[in-house]
Amino acid sequence: MNEQRRQILQMLAEGKITAEEAERLIDALGQEQPESPPRPKSRPKYLRVMVMDTSEASPTRINVQIPLQLLRAGVRLTSVIPPQVLTKINAELDKTGWPIDLTELKPQHIEDLVDQLDEVTIDVDDATTKLHVFCE
Amino acid sequence: MIPQLVTVRYRGHPEGRGLRLYVPVVPVLLLLSPLLVLAVLGAVVACVVFRFSPVDALRGTWRLFWALPGARIELDDGQTALLISVR
Repeated sequence: MNEQRRQILQMLAEGKITAEEAERLIDALGQEQPESPPRPKSRPKYLRVMVMDTSEASPTRINVQIPLQLLRAGVRLTSVIPPQVLTKINAELDKTGWPIDLTELKPQHIEDLVDQLDEVTIDVDDATTKLHVFCE
Repeated sequence: MIPQLVTVRYRGHPEGRGLRLYVPVVPVLLLLSPLLVLAVLGAVVACVVFRFSPVDALRGTWRLFWALPGARIELDDGQTALLISVR
């Protein structure tokens, strides 16, 4: 209990103010006190992938929890790949009909992508299969 | 934080108790440290041969290792169940 509130209650006890006045003063004190800043939302730490297959033939349950830090570390590892290897991969991708230039894909871009995963929630509901991808 | 304990559980039959392995990472790494040194030397040579930067590769691998705690993979298809957990 703070000092001002104690003084109000003291005045009420001594009969110097009425109960209504004390209530009004205490309300006014509450309004004066600054509201505590909202707590920052904790950032998710894990990417979760949950698959539930309820088919009678082969019911399957998959539950994968990957630390987002591990994804970031994996992304940084791609920066080790030398440019000549990337060129070869590009050529092979082009042959298979995927004209993607991996040299244009910088680790920073993928890291940004991983950072934005916080908000991602994917739900796929099939008759027998449920897939849930989210971060927590 | 480096991984402390890796838990592996495997069950081949629904009734079976299966296999449970609790691997304390640090003692095992200490035990295998001579082999680890050889493996690192081999990796450095491979990096040089294939024109990768050994420093970047080692740093990246260490980061991956460092980020492993919390990883958990659980598969269960009724007959077979597998759990790999890193703490």
